[in-house]
Amino acid sequence: MHLPDGLLPPSLWIPGWGISGLWLGLNLRQIQHRGDPGRDLPRASLLTAVFFLAGSVQVPVPPASVHLLLNGLLGVLLGPWALPAITVGLLLQAITFGHGGLTSLGVNILIMGIPALLAGWLYRLSRGSWLGAFMAGAVGVGGAVLLFWGTVLLSLGDNPEAERQALLLLVLAHSPLMLIEGGITAGVIGFLRRVKPQLLP
Amino acid sequence: MMRTLLPSLLLWGLGMPVWAHGVELGFSTTPAIEVQARYDTGQPMAKAQVTVFAPGDPGVAWLTGQTDGEGRFWFRPDPAQLGAWQVRVRQGGHGGMLTIPVTTPAEDVMGDEPEAPDLKIPASPPASLSPWLRLGMAASWVWGLVGTALFFARKTHAPS
Repeated sequence: MHLPDGLLPPSLWIPGWGISGLWLGLNLRQIQHRGDPGRDLPRASLLTAVFFLAGSVQVPVPPASVHLLLNGLLGVLLGPWALPAITVGLLLQAITFGHGGLTSLGVNILIMGIPALLAGWLYRLSRGSWLGAFMAGAVGVGGAVLLFWGTVLLSLGDNPEAERQALLLLVLAHSPLMLIEGGITAGVIGFLRRVKPQLLP
Repeated sequence: MMRTLLPSLLLWGLGMPVWAHGVELGFSTTPAIEVQARYDTGQPMAKAQVTVFAPGDPGVAWLTGQTDGEGRFWFRPDPAQLGAWQVRVRQGGHGGMLTIPVTTPAEDVMGDEPEAPDLKIPASPPASLSPWLRLGMAASWVWGLVGTALFFARKTHAPS
């Protein structure tokens, strides 16, 4: 779910940078208004490391590869800190492993960040239930896949039919990941509730 | 009459290439570029879309095609267009862009070798970071993030 450099036209990646930059600015202001950013920073920093590592481990599933996203988990546990954490994680993945490009970073932030926001809302709406946590993890992956799909459909290249078929296979390959990440999110939330409930939102 | 007309007709027919069914095949060697496309898992990008952009007009596709089953694609750059040729390979939203500098070799002092290749193309793309270096970078990032977490956690719990 990382769009590389060179695939998106400037008419897509420039607005991507603009919208994600604006959103990030508003998000940081929201964090500042909550008071004492240092209180939530350790949790955000650790989960950024987890997000960076989880997205770097690729499992080959033809025609490409699949990796954990964990954006739903970040949305649940970090709230407004999820977006800065995802931004830093995606930047480090692009620099270190070439997973995702720098021109497309803005679009990639939106692809990961919007479902993370939705996942956080969903979890809070469910009043912290186990099912809500599972759904939040699944929505994180499902939303990211749908946004990735929609973005690539806007720029299919010279052979649209071949690209559509490859894209469909990629989306299908990510379907089991929704269940896996739903289970991981529910498991982590359940574990923290028993061991350290003060870490939960 | 027929003795003289028949050989004449045959000879006349041989001289008409429009009606000929024979073909003439030949070959010559020419410098070409082989693009290899693989995912970082090592799996070849089979049947991926390839678009080649010439240095003269990088906004317009100069050549389009697709890789073979092994993720390979060949093309011969136009010798009249020297500079940075760009090759884009994509499949299902994955892919990348490759820049290949194509120049002419240094002028031969003797200047009497017309069969020599007229293009200078690097044998391979510039070396990327080694896996160990990438691993070291990743470990450094993780250590930095964990260190940040520990620093602020200690500050939070420090007695006032």
